[in-house]
Amino acid sequence: MMREITYLEAVREAMSQEMRKNDDVFILGEDIGVYGGAFGVTRGMIEEFGPERVRNTPISEAGIAGAAVGSALTGMRPILELQFSDFITIALDQIVNQAAKIRYMYGGKGKVPMVVRTPSGSGTGAAAQHSQSLEAWVTHIPGLKVIQPSTAYDAKGLLKAAMDDDNPVIFYEHKLLYKTSSDVPEEQYSIPLGQADVKRKGTDVTVVATAIMVHRALEAAAELEKEGISIEVIDPRTLVPLDEETIVKSVSKTGRVVVVHEAVKRGGYGGEIASMIAESEAFDYLDAPIKRLGGAPSPVPYHPELEKAHAPQVPDIIKAIKETLNKA
Amino acid sequence: MAKEVFMPKLSSTMQVGTVLQWFKEEGDSVEVGEPLFEIMTDKINIEVESYEEGILLKRYYDVDDEAPVNAVVGYIGEVGEEVPNTPPEVAGEKAEEDESAEPSVNVITDSSNDTSLVEEVADENGGKVRATPAARRVARENDVSLSLVSGSGPRGRVHEQDVVMYIDRNKVIVTPLAEKIAKEYDVDLSQVTGSGSRGKIEKADVLAFIESQKAASSSVAPATGERVKLKGLRKAVADKMVESVRTIPHVTLTSDVDMTKVIEVRKALLPVIEGQTGYRLSYTEIIMKTVAHVLGNHPKVNASLVEDEIVYNNDVNIGLAVAVENGLIVPSVEKANQKGLAELTEVSKTLGAKARDNKLTPNEMKGSTFTISNLGMYAIDGFTPIINPPETAILGVGRIVEKPVVVDGSVEVRPMMVLSLSFDHRAIDGAPAAAFLTEVKESLEDPYSLLV
Repeated sequence: MMREITYLEAVREAMSQEMRKNDDVFILGEDIGVYGGAFGVTRGMIEEFGPERVRNTPISEAGIAGAAVGSALTGMRPILELQFSDFITIALDQIVNQAAKIRYMYGGKGKVPMVVRTPSGSGTGAAAQHSQSLEAWVTHIPGLKVIQPSTAYDAKGLLKAAMDDDNPVIFYEHKLLYKTSSDVPEEQYSIPLGQADVKRKGTDVTVVATAIMVHRALEAAAELEKEGISIEVIDPRTLVPLDEETIVKSVSKTGRVVVVHEAVKRGGYGGEIASMIAESEAFDYLDAPIKRLGGAPSPVPYHPELEKAHAPQVPDIIKAIKETLNKA
Repeated sequence: MAKEVFMPKLSSTMQVGTVLQWFKEEGDSVEVGEPLFEIMTDKINIEVESYEEGILLKRYYDVDDEAPVNAVVGYIGEVGEEVPNTPPEVAGEKAEEDESAEPSVNVITDSSNDTSLVEEVADENGGKVRATPAARRVARENDVSLSLVSGSGPRGRVHEQDVVMYIDRNKVIVTPLAEKIAKEYDVDLSQVTGSGSRGKIEKADVLAFIESQKAASSSVAPATGERVKLKGLRKAVADKMVESVRTIPHVTLTSDVDMTKVIEVRKALLPVIEGQTGYRLSYTEIIMKTVAHVLGNHPKVNASLVEDEIVYNNDVNIGLAVAVENGLIVPSVEKANQKGLAELTEVSKTLGAKARDNKLTPNEMKGSTFTISNLGMYAIDGFTPIINPPETAILGVGRIVEKPVVVDGSVEVRPMMVLSLSFDHRAIDGAPAAAFLTEVKESLEDPYSLLV
């Protein structure tokens, strides 16, 4: 049975449904109890599941992550919430040097089935320390899986898959997407990690977009359709593992590709996607240089207009697409 | 180390020079300042002096060979030094940047860079075709050379679509029978126009092509007579004329001038100026003086059109078209409006003589802002002179001949001359050109006005 709910509700529903079924699953983080978390995602959960399974923690991301790794090793399946993904810096030692490596180093004797949920991205006027998109950092670490859902439907299905996974998963929720809504089934369902979604079919240019950029790419595609330009929008949904096949197939068909994400372009995951395409069999079908769009190489400015200018917007995507078509 | 001898660049328009003669053989010793070789450019013949001392080790160009500007034409060095067997690439950029690579010849050089040449060379050196991977794949699959495909992308980048279109355009569809006939008669099918659907070549098309080839070859009668290759000054004149006529919308205005008073003036001044300078004053100088004076009042006609800009020249420099043995040369009389008739006579006669003797320097041939072409020594009245770009106007002068004209209601015989003014309609409109020509006519009919 389908109904329209928000991205935020979808995340909450995914956790609640799993917690009702599986006593090993619990959540921990700062102010996730009565307050409901920085963005209200866990609101109401402490009332249903109680303080044992919805655990308020001290303000220490290293402590939260360390506790999650430890409990996961004993057989629990923790979901930890970091208020802002910028604060992952404090938790990275636990995530990178412990969570990502223990299963490997001990030959599979122990495993770390944990999910790190954390809001990212700019656009809320939260300034330079609360607006970053740092997902490329964790994609670099073997042993971590990285997810960036763009719709409520994807969020629910991917979070289920993340909770079911026996490895640490970083689950990025874009702040601006919390209030977006889409049709979401009531029952539990799982979207396999490493399966991209073709959000729009097209023939002229492939746009590979993540998170909020999926929506901007779709807007750009709708604009360009009026000019007779047909855009295929691919949402990888999971950065690690990456569904290379879907991207390569699309680029082989269109011959032109624009990769767009909100993270700073330099060192961003778009570079990885572009390189993958260049190395793939799609190379011989490329009919224009691969184009990347990403954030400006500066901190996110604390000014509404400058903040907008920092990240790619719809007109930027349209321009980049036209450039690959020699129509700019 | 052996030093290069370069083809000098003697004017901003010079692209190549033709070697007329070498004064030194390979192995001869050369002093600084000694004439090394003589070249012909699009404007002049000039002896090129050596800038180095040593042995002429190598000459890369024979007499009558053309060498691009800045090309290495030879080497000067010490006995036994090795030099390349073929001339090195034209290092346009390098020669400009590297001080040690200055042309090793002592000639007047123009400092203006010829960037177009430099770019061309750079492109040639690159040698690679700019094409996308997709374009390369399609070209590879269809055995197409990418260098034949013109790219539609930025900086000529070849895209897949360009290759596909190229293949489509060059595809020859042919019936088996037509193909067989073509093979038999050795016909290149790409030359044959097909009359079938989608341009399919049929038997009849091939046969018609063979017939037309026969007809064409029989109708071209072998040309008899001496053949002279278009080169040197002749080629330069030819190129300049074609460029002028093709790019400039010419309009020619004519006007009759009563020369009665000019003849009086010339009669009066002839002995004076001959006594002063030894040269005989001719009508050309009086017309030049008048035109230069009037040009001062008509800056629009004394303009040059350079690319997209009209330059209203400060100086009035009159070019004087001089017929020489194998062409036409236009020396420039600088600031003609500031010179008196005696000086103008001396300068014009000197320049004319130098032009005929091929002795003009590049400086004496540049900077003219308006040209006068005088055919008055022949039985010519009016004509349509071709503008000497970047100038925007030229005055053709006809003969002075007695004609009946109506003066104050009665017919009188007067010495009349036709002036023909061609102007560049991109820069000048009809009315200002007409006003200029009218003032020239009035000034010649009343030359004393020049004194005012």
